[in-house]
Amino acid sequence: MAEMWINMGPQHPMTHGLWNLRIKVDGETIVDAEPEVGYLHRGIEKICENRTYTQILPIADRLCYGAALSWNHLYCRTIEDLMGLEVPERGQYLRVAALEMQRIASHLMWLAAYAADLGMMIGFIYAMRDREIFIDLLQAMSGSRLTYNYCRIGGVAHDAPPDFERDSLRACDYIEKKIEEYYDLYEGSKVFMMRNVGIGKLSKEDAMNLGVTGPPLRASGVRYDLRKDVPYESYDAIDFQPITHPDGDCYARYRVRMEEMLESCKIIRQAVTKMPKGKWRIVAPRNGPVGTGLGRVEDPRGEGMMYAVGDGTDRPYRLKIRSPIFVTVSAAKHMLVGYKVADVVAIMGGLDMCIGETDR
Amino acid sequence: MENTKGSPGEGIERPPMNVGGGSAEERVIRALIDGFPQTVTDFRKVRDGFLRAKIERRNLYKACKMLRDQLGFEHISMITAVEYEDRFELVYHIACYGSCLLLELITTTPKDDPSVDSVAEIWGGANWQERESYDLMGIRFNNHPKLERILLPKDFMFHPLRKSYKEGP
Repeated sequence: MAEMWINMGPQHPMTHGLWNLRIKVDGETIVDAEPEVGYLHRGIEKICENRTYTQILPIADRLCYGAALSWNHLYCRTIEDLMGLEVPERGQYLRVAALEMQRIASHLMWLAAYAADLGMMIGFIYAMRDREIFIDLLQAMSGSRLTYNYCRIGGVAHDAPPDFERDSLRACDYIEKKIEEYYDLYEGSKVFMMRNVGIGKLSKEDAMNLGVTGPPLRASGVRYDLRKDVPYESYDAIDFQPITHPDGDCYARYRVRMEEMLESCKIIRQAVTKMPKGKWRIVAPRNGPVGTGLGRVEDPRGEGMMYAVGDGTDRPYRLKIRSPIFVTVSAAKHMLVGYKVADVVAIMGGLDMCIGETDR
Repeated sequence: MENTKGSPGEGIERPPMNVGGGSAEERVIRALIDGFPQTVTDFRKVRDGFLRAKIERRNLYKACKMLRDQLGFEHISMITAVEYEDRFELVYHIACYGSCLLLELITTTPKDDPSVDSVAEIWGGANWQERESYDLMGIRFNNHPKLERILLPKDFMFHPLRKSYKEGP
C-alpha cells in the first residue's frame, strides 16, 4: 500500500497545546514519525539575559502551567548554587511539601487529560475535582492558583499558613482513598486497558540512550529518581521509594504515575510533621558572582535542569533550561513505529506533554 | 550536602584539585586523564558526585565514546552553548545511572569556526539538543544526522541567543 505522511496537529485534540506530530503510515500502521515543536517558543532564555535575578522568578513559573512551582524552585536552586547560599531547614521542608503537592496536582491533571484522550470523560471530571484540593493547599501557601511564585532565592516567600499540617494530612488521606477508587474506575474499564496494555513499548536500552527521564524512564524499568539518587533539599531525610515498572508500555507509565502520587502523599506527611521551627528564608545578595550554577531536580515530567552563568552583575549572563519533555518527545518515533494510528493518542498522551516547557 | 559548592569563577585557570573520595569518581578521573593525557585539563571535583573537566574539541567524540562504552555514562542530560567575547563554550552534562555521577565536560570553539563533532550517534538524546544549540546559538555539529532549526521557523535568518542579536528582522 502507498505510504503517506499525515499531520496530527498543530490543531488536534491530542496535542494539548501547539505542536505537530507528523506520522508516516502504511495503511493503518505507523512506519515513521517526526514530532515538530516550536510553536510556543517565547525566547525565555534570551528574556532572562535582560532581567535581574529577582525579575526572572515569575518568568520561571511560566515555563509550565501544569507544574509551575517545580520550575520556580529549579530556578531558585540554580541561582542558590551560583551564589553559594544555603536555604534554612524550615524553608527546605516547606519546599518539599509544596513540590510534592505540585507533583500530585500535575499528575492528576495528566490523568484527567489522559482519560479524556481515551474517551473516558468521567475520569476527567473526577481527576480534575480532586486536583482542586491540592491547588487549594498551594493557594493557601502561596496566594495563587496556578503560577505560584512561591520560592525565593534563599528560601520561600511565606511561612506555612495556619492549620497547614492538619489540612495537608487531611488532603493526603482523601487522595489515598480516591486513588484506590481510580484503580477500579480506570482498570475496570475494558476500553482503557485495551488501549494501554502492550501499547507504545519503549525498551530499557532505548529509554536510556534517548535521554528519556522521569516516569517514562522508570516505566521502562530503570530505577533512577533524582530525589533519591542525587537528593536535594531535605529529601535525604525522608523515607520513600522510587516507583519502577518493568514493562515500558503505556500501562506501565500510567501505573508509575499513580503509585508516585501515593509516594508523594508519604513525603508530604513526613515533611509537614518533621518540619522544624525557625527561619524559612535568608536574604540573597543582589548581584551574583562570576561563575556557574547548576540545578538538577526531578520535575513531575522528568529531569529538569538549569545552568546559569553569572558575570558579577545583577543579571545572568546566560541561563540554559533543560526541558525533560523536549528530550522525551524526540524519542516518540521509537514508541510509535509499528503501532496503529489509533494508538497515537494513547502513546503521546502517556508522555504528559507540556508545551510551555518544551518550547520555552 | 548538595548546597556546598566549589569556589565560583568558571573559565579561570586553577590547579587541579586534589581529588579523593569515592572509587567511581577516581576511576573516571584516571580513565579520562590516562586516555587523553594532553587534552583533558582542569579536572576538578566540584562536590560529591559532580565532576568537571575541560577537553579539547578534537578529542570530544572519542572521549564521549569512551565515557559511554567503558565508564557507563549512559545519559546525556544537557548540552549548553555559551557565548563569550573570544570563544564559544559547549558544556555537556553527562550522567551515569549506576554510580549517580554527573560529569560536566567543557569544550571551546573559536568565534570564527563554531563547530564540534556531533555526539548524537553515541547518545540519541543529544540529537535534538544539538539541533537546539544550532538553532539558537549557531554552533555547527559535524556528522549530525539532521542539523536543522527546531524551535524557530526554517527561514529565520538569525541565531537569537548570540549577544550580537539585538532585535528581530
